[in-house]
Amino acid sequence: MNPSPPTNNPLLATVLSLFIPGAGQFYLRDRRRGIAIFTTAIVSAVLIYWAQDNFRTAVTGGTKMALWALLGCFLVWNIVDAYRRARRQASSDLIGLLLPVLIIYIIGWQVTDVRLDRLVTRFGNALKIWNDIIHPDLFTQDAAGNWLPSENFGYIFGSIANKPASGWLVRLGLVQQDALVPTFQAGKIIETIALGLLSTIFSTILAVPLSFLAARNIMSRVRGGTVIYYVMRTILNIVRAIDTLIWGLIVVLWVGLGSFAGVLALTIHSIAALGKLFSEEVEHIDPGPIEAVTATGANLIQTIRYAVIPQIVPPFLAYTLLRWDINMRSATIVGFVAGGGIGFFVVESLRKAAYNQYAAALWAVAIVVMIVDYVSAKWRERIMVGTTQVASEPPRPFYKSLRTWFYLIVGTAAFVYFWQLCEINLKDLLNPAPTFGQLVRSFLSFNLEPEVTDAVVRQMLITIFQALLATTLGALMAIPFSFLAARNLTGRSRLSIWIYYLTRGMFNLLRSIEAILYVAIFFYWVSFGNFAGMLALAVTSFGLIGKLFSEAIENIDPGPLEAITATGATRLQAIAYGILPQIIPPFISYSIYQWDINVRMATIVGFAGGGGIGWLLYNDYFPFMKYRSAGTAVALIVIVVAVMDFASAKIRERLV
Amino acid sequence: MLRVEHLTKVYPNGTRALKDVSFQVEDGEFMAVIGLSGSGKSTLLRCINRLIEPTAGKVIWDDIDITAVPASQMRQVRRQIGMIFQQFNLVKRSSVMTNVLSGRLGYVSPYQSLFNYFSPADHQRALDNLEQLGLADKAHVRADSLSGGQQQRVGIARALMQEPKLILADEPVASLDPVLAHSILKYLEQMNKERQITVVCSLHFLDLVHRYATRAIALKDGQLVFQGLPKEIDDAQFKAIYGQEAERVSIV
Repeated sequence: MNPSPPTNNPLLATVLSLFIPGAGQFYLRDRRRGIAIFTTAIVSAVLIYWAQDNFRTAVTGGTKMALWALLGCFLVWNIVDAYRRARRQASSDLIGLLLPVLIIYIIGWQVTDVRLDRLVTRFGNALKIWNDIIHPDLFTQDAAGNWLPSENFGYIFGSIANKPASGWLVRLGLVQQDALVPTFQAGKIIETIALGLLSTIFSTILAVPLSFLAARNIMSRVRGGTVIYYVMRTILNIVRAIDTLIWGLIVVLWVGLGSFAGVLALTIHSIAALGKLFSEEVEHIDPGPIEAVTATGANLIQTIRYAVIPQIVPPFLAYTLLRWDINMRSATIVGFVAGGGIGFFVVESLRKAAYNQYAAALWAVAIVVMIVDYVSAKWRERIMVGTTQVASEPPRPFYKSLRTWFYLIVGTAAFVYFWQLCEINLKDLLNPAPTFGQLVRSFLSFNLEPEVTDAVVRQMLITIFQALLATTLGALMAIPFSFLAARNLTGRSRLSIWIYYLTRGMFNLLRSIEAILYVAIFFYWVSFGNFAGMLALAVTSFGLIGKLFSEAIENIDPGPLEAITATGATRLQAIAYGILPQIIPPFISYSIYQWDINVRMATIVGFAGGGGIGWLLYNDYFPFMKYRSAGTAVALIVIVVAVMDFASAKIRERLV
Repeated sequence: MLRVEHLTKVYPNGTRALKDVSFQVEDGEFMAVIGLSGSGKSTLLRCINRLIEPTAGKVIWDDIDITAVPASQMRQVRRQIGMIFQQFNLVKRSSVMTNVLSGRLGYVSPYQSLFNYFSPADHQRALDNLEQLGLADKAHVRADSLSGGQQQRVGIARALMQEPKLILADEPVASLDPVLAHSILKYLEQMNKERQITVVCSLHFLDLVHRYATRAIALKDGQLVFQGLPKEIDDAQFKAIYGQEAERVSIV
């Protein structure tokens, strides 16, 4: 610490902190600490005050008292801290940190409506739905005892039925008019794949030009470009903060319910997400080659062709593949609101309480998403690492390669097929329903009446707490498992390799299904509401955090471990000093990252009965055309998500 | 002949990188530019081919005032001036061949080059240049799979594709280890002698200047503080250029 001038008066510091929390520390020139204490005290007080009326146990008042008491303890700690610091005595940060955390979690526990008793008393329901999950409606036995795909299998994956021949077959003279030909009828999961692919293609095409407008290094060279840059960045951030499903609510009013609405919702969100990633990539290109190519006398077009494009194509492709993976996941749920895809099927089967059909859909989603996840990751790896050519032969031009033509033809055919499957009709974009005009007009004239703002803020806070609790729960459960899924620690025995693959497989399976799809399970188990939504979020978080944690463990540097072992330390000491310091920062960083993701996800779990702000939008504002209130809710979501995004990025930057 | 007259560069942030610099370079010379980091060497080289627009002054080359050439004709000027960079400035993901061929961009039709089309003659020229630099077998590997010294040789091959009369080399060996530094400078010397290409090269180490340059200029805080033969840089001169604290160091 800096040598403090002798004016440090312990009494004054103590008195200052007594009246204004943190003021004593501020006076002692520890400004950051002072501000942190002051903010913490104010935020805790406001939260407790707010939460008082939102307790389910408000009648008992016990928790209320406990919370105020904890806050009191924090204030006392703050006074003691000021006194001890003024006298240059050691003061423990731990208590000061622990008390607010305790307050936050107690409030979170209350407002998310955590009811552990229900997990036990309604365990029978859990068993029932578990039974459905392991017996999905995919296969049936016929009279002779042969296993056959069930009708539900056909709905999900596709079936072959005799249908009147389509026009082009007749015109080619292959079959006669009105003849019945076996036709493949795509199931809902095929439709989901189509949604994911088409939205990725559309959003990539649209995001590329936008990304140049949102790249600072490009726009700063153009007159008035900086203004365009800021406008573009703001628009991208707003659009990105609104989840695909919320876009779904909006676009169904534009083009009507159906697959096309799904594609549109996915595309809109994805353009903004890709636009941001692409523009950051454009900003990070190496200016060296541009300079070198300019120096050879190349003109602007040539410079872009030879110095810019080779640099951005591989990362753009990699981001597109990443987005394909994400869009595929979103495509499985966009049907909750927009129609189209497996999400729509899930809603229908839940409405019929056909849980074995729902279970079948979950399995289908898991399989498809895991495959896409794997393919996308491998492909990205290949692009970023690049093929190490050692051949001294010049590569064959692409148009002479048979494989290229094969991919081109198959790709085009698939594109046309998917286009028809998704019933893409661009004309619909020009003929929105009359209510859409109303929506657009009302959306930006926010409804700021107290009852609306009260409800919106309240549900938003619940959403944030849901995300916090889900992240904590997911992370706590993931920690022990992540050690089992870290290859460098599991050892070489056959058993441990099995454990490794099983744990990894579990993580991949659980994270392949979006939280909103899990809500139904907990809906059935603990009844609908914030608790169910929180648990659903926790399951997906568990899978994702588990994967990230285990990779973090695998990436540790073995050097320190070796060095500490060499000092004669025991195995336990070696772990404590060689491994823990290396994994704690990434663990915290990933948990914060997951909280950020969970806040976004928590805004939509309400669509399936999981509580939070999504519940308000889906069950109250949109069905009753309260678009002004909806606008208020969405605006708050945008603000919260943007702040979380910014804050989590800043904190993680500091940690790593 | 290259004549630089009263060249001044003031950056938008107010930094005066060059202050009234004048000197001239005869055809066929190997001119070294020395000075501390930040003394204006890079700015000077980039003002010659107008990668950076000078604020005032003239650069006259073969009786053409480069500073007055309209943007539409800069292509004709730049293609005769090759440039080599400290960080090599290759497109790392493109092949060595594509990098070398990009040195022809100032000559070929912009539309054909969009489709990566270069004439067979250009391909042959590229192979010949790579051959001369000892990289014939590396033509079709990606640029980032080469070592630093090899990458800089690709940079030289790219500059040679322009069939330049002048090569500007901005700290071409500052990112390489001493042995490689000599190898790169020997190639430059070879081009200078065999092809009569004038070389203007900024360098850090004085002994490299003594070994390769035919003449030298020195910059300090954007001002020309020395002009003459390398051997004329005595201890007093040295202190004037590099400051009183400086010690002479040498490399291999």
